[in-house]
Amino acid sequence: MKNFTYGRASSVEEVIEQANRDRNAMYIAGGTNLVDRMKAFLDEPSQLLDISRLEMQSIERTQDGGLRIDALVTNTDLANNANVRRDYPLLSRAILAGASQQIRNMATVGGNLMQRTRCAYYYDTAFACNKRQPGTGCPAINGINRIHAILGASDRCVAVNPSDMSVALAALDATVEVQGEQGQRDIPFVDFHRLPGDTPERDTNLEPGELITAVVLPPMAFAQSGVYLKLRDRASYAFALVSVAAAVELSGDQISTARIALGGVAHKPWRASEAEAFLQGQTPNQSTFEQAADIALQEAQPLAYNAFKVDLSRRAIRRALAVSSRGGGIA
Amino acid sequence: MNQIIGTSVSRKDGRAKVTGTATYGAEHQLPDLVHGYLITAKIANGRILNIDTQAIERSPGVMAVFTHENMPRVFTPTNDWANSQIYETRLPLADDRVHYGGQIIGLVVADTLERARDAAHSAAIEYQEEPVLVTAENATYEDSPPWFGEDFQFQEGTFETGDFAVAAADAPTTLEATYNTETELNSPMEPHALVAHWQGNDSVTVYEPTQWVRVSQGTYAELFGLPTERVRVVSPYVGGAFGAKAFPWPHGILCVAAARELQRPLKVVVSRRQMTANTGHRSQTEQTVRLAANTDGQLIALEHTARTCTSPVEVFSEPCTAVTPVMYATPNLRLGQELAVLNVGTPTFMRAPGEAPGMFALESAMDELAWELGLDPVELRLRNETQEHQRRGGVFSTKNFAACLSTGAEQFGWSQRQMQPRSQQQGDRLVGWGMAAATFPGYRGAAMAKVRLLPDETAHVLTSANDMGTGAYTMVAMTAAENLGLPVEQVRVEIGDSIMPDGGLAGGSQMTATLAPAVMNACQAVLETANAENAQQAFASLQESGRAAYEATGSAAPGEEGTEFTFQSWGAHFCEVTVDEDIARLQITRWVSVMDIGRVLNAKTAASQIRGGVIMGIGSALMEECHFDPASGHPVVYDLATYHVPAHADIPRIEVTFVGEPDLNFNPMGVRGAGEIGIMGVAPAVANAVYHATGKRIRSLPIIPDKII
Ligand SMILES: Cc1cc2nc3c(=O)[nH]c(=O)nc-3n(C[C@H](O)[C@H](O)[C@H](O)COP(=O)(O)OP(=O)(O)OC[C@H]3O[C@@H](n4cnc5c(N)ncnc54)[C@H](O)[C@@H]3O)c2cc1C
Repeated sequence: MKNFTYGRASSVEEVIEQANRDRNAMYIAGGTNLVDRMKAFLDEPSQLLDISRLEMQSIERTQDGGLRIDALVTNTDLANNANVRRDYPLLSRAILAGASQQIRNMATVGGNLMQRTRCAYYYDTAFACNKRQPGTGCPAINGINRIHAILGASDRCVAVNPSDMSVALAALDATVEVQGEQGQRDIPFVDFHRLPGDTPERDTNLEPGELITAVVLPPMAFAQSGVYLKLRDRASYAFALVSVAAAVELSGDQISTARIALGGVAHKPWRASEAEAFLQGQTPNQSTFEQAADIALQEAQPLAYNAFKVDLSRRAIRRALAVSSRGGGIA
Repeated sequence: MNQIIGTSVSRKDGRAKVTGTATYGAEHQLPDLVHGYLITAKIANGRILNIDTQAIERSPGVMAVFTHENMPRVFTPTNDWANSQIYETRLPLADDRVHYGGQIIGLVVADTLERARDAAHSAAIEYQEEPVLVTAENATYEDSPPWFGEDFQFQEGTFETGDFAVAAADAPTTLEATYNTETELNSPMEPHALVAHWQGNDSVTVYEPTQWVRVSQGTYAELFGLPTERVRVVSPYVGGAFGAKAFPWPHGILCVAAARELQRPLKVVVSRRQMTANTGHRSQTEQTVRLAANTDGQLIALEHTARTCTSPVEVFSEPCTAVTPVMYATPNLRLGQELAVLNVGTPTFMRAPGEAPGMFALESAMDELAWELGLDPVELRLRNETQEHQRRGGVFSTKNFAACLSTGAEQFGWSQRQMQPRSQQQGDRLVGWGMAAATFPGYRGAAMAKVRLLPDETAHVLTSANDMGTGAYTMVAMTAAENLGLPVEQVRVEIGDSIMPDGGLAGGSQMTATLAPAVMNACQAVLETANAENAQQAFASLQESGRAAYEATGSAAPGEEGTEFTFQSWGAHFCEVTVDEDIARLQITRWVSVMDIGRVLNAKTAASQIRGGVIMGIGSALMEECHFDPASGHPVVYDLATYHVPAHADIPRIEVTFVGEPDLNFNPMGVRGAGEIGIMGVAPAVANAVYHATGKRIRSLPIIPDKII
């Protein structure tokens, strides 16, 4: 491990400046992912800029009735927030489906968005990995790829984004507020994470030195019937094999709007826009949900060990849509 | 007798453990301690062409680097399982060969752990790679050698009584099925670790978790050419082992060797990642069971063959067929074991080695036969009970298997079972009930203990045995308390140190059966010495005489009873699963275990042992599996995030009941072991319940969502 310095940030502006002065510096918030990565020699920062004590810890109503969530709100506080539980229950459930209570107590919104893949090949320096060392190759493509991507992968990388919270945020049309040397900008959530393409070393469109300051949720009445369904190898404390965040808005006996995002299947939280478009105006029944699920997975390209995920994703979508169209709750 | 024996007593070591004052191997603080970090191979087969040791030596804080080019001399131990044994008979850094991915190929010693680790990580190594084989389907199998050498004839690979082929040919019902289990990792919470402290060149203290203090001592003595008493092994606490901490591994030998060269206390901790390749695992298995039966379910013939894998540097065959001759009577029995070599780390004992995967195959097949015949699986088992070990010979000293089945069935409500698969539902979930039998041999060794009675009215028991989380401290205290007529609180127990009398092995579920009789004898001896009937009288005479202590050593060992009897524990598991079939979500919702383990010494810790076994069995049933990258041979499962063991949410309430009687032919306390029988039969009980729920027979473990949809 390279020696590094550690310092506590005193203001947003100052810490951004520090990060821009030294491109090998890294922000640290809860540390639940970065410290693990450092121990595994995946990141070797020159400085740790501890942002965890900055005044970015609140959740507030926006003027239009949405919510503005500061980047340093812990996963626990966000999941337990009364407004979130009432208005965006799928976000609360997604967070509570992740990690463990102790980790959620430390983990922050910003850190969760920036956590990196759990691909075993990425995590062990005994293997080549294009994400860790661009150009060295991807042994996962022909390796043990049971947990890997079925959508949007490239011949450079088949890793998946591990976050649960991000799947819900993708379905909720959130916006990520970031701040850099040039000032502040907003990134629509679906554009925040990237597909691997030729640059799998880049997970997100955050520019070097930029800091996530908040995530903003637009008002969305039908999010109250939203559902988060996570399927995994054990009942708790495991990353998703497949997860679905879904919400259905009904007008009369027709679907007026639908949101579907998938986790565990791609390098980014995967919005199933075509399936959403299809659902508009349909009657909410089993056959509609089946068709929507088929559309969502039509581009799927399974690898040797993960074909089951295609089927499992379809089933999870059908279930989540069905539960949401009945008013939501636990799927 | 029996004021204390059989009651529930909380762990004597519990408080020390939860408050962090229990000292595990790596926690022994010594002045001038230096830190070692293992260098592990990035290829899985081939040779090391060069290790740039000069660059490593230049790394900050580095004091020494050991590779195959400067490995200090160690001697090859006799490896007789009694005086010395090492897990991997190739000595560490023996040559330039790499046999499996992650193999230890060097050790860096530095002033801090971080510096040692950093230097080890950045080591520049050139390899010459050769093709790897980690895929069992592509391996070449040969008849496997006997287990533990020729002395244990009955464990040998092949065995036949009667004529399976002829008998099966005429049978009204036959069944053949192949079962697979995956590579499993022992995964104790405490990683393997040790501190080696030499006093000059002719005496060493090794602080290391071990299941067998005396053999660990003897082994290090042989390795380093020392008289046994010049080696002290200190192991007061073992944070779980499950078979993987009985003997020195290469990292331990390397640490002790390096510490001698450096003449500084040296600590080596094996990282969780390094444990996958270097501290044992349970081999994957492929087993075929063929059953032939009468229409009433009587077995006419039974064949059980198993294929398991070992590393290129050790012969270890997972003895899956050991359990078969114990369970069901048949005049025509054929067993076969084959073994193949893969470029994987050395497999070893893991809780109920062989027996647990063997039982998955056998008890799944029995369930299949029950369905085939339209018989209740409990009834099928009762109809085929055997009263003797069909391979070893010897009638079972006590056997209350039928009582385990009937008590379990009653507690569970088995008679309410709707016979047909897919016929029980709870909302939109299918509900399945399954059961399977459990059994495990009663093993016993020789042991000694010393008891001292002190003027402060405490008794002090000393023995080299150890407590790997099983409850041995408490068991020793209860045995002494009972035999001395003292409250348990007045007994102090010190264990896990080779300077104390040999307390035997904590393995094969034998610590209690081995040690409790020795403690009992020591207590009787110390009362005789004091010329007292109980401890109170002895304390009184200490007061009167002004003597410092009464002290006596007692020992106990098995006699000839094994020629007449076979000692065996029995049990049955009943469980309920719910399956949300559409989304492949499975939950175990009820569990009942009934066990016949002879006399129950501590009701609380014995039940804990059974529960722990059930939980570990559920892990093997539902989630545990280690895989190796087919191209590079490297493990892709190497920590507790990639290797899943059950979380609380996976485990229902586990009801444990004991039935049976003291096994007084076995030892004067009448106790057998509780450590392994709990895991026996768990995985097939789950698989059988999944079949009942879904109508789908899953013959390969673990039962992951991929296999349910
Ligand atoms: C054992 C385990 C199990 C887990 N299981 C799950 C699970 O099932 N589901 C799930 O979703 N997650 C899971 N997690 C991940 C956990 O949720 C993340 O580790 C956590 O959310 C990261 O937050 P943090 O604040 O600790 O981030 P840190 O570790 O502090 O930082 C992570 C990354 O984010 C960057 N960063 C942090 N804050 C900012 C910011 N404001 N702006 C820009 N960059 C920033 C850091 O530089 C770093 O690269 C698990 C983690 C562990 C250790």
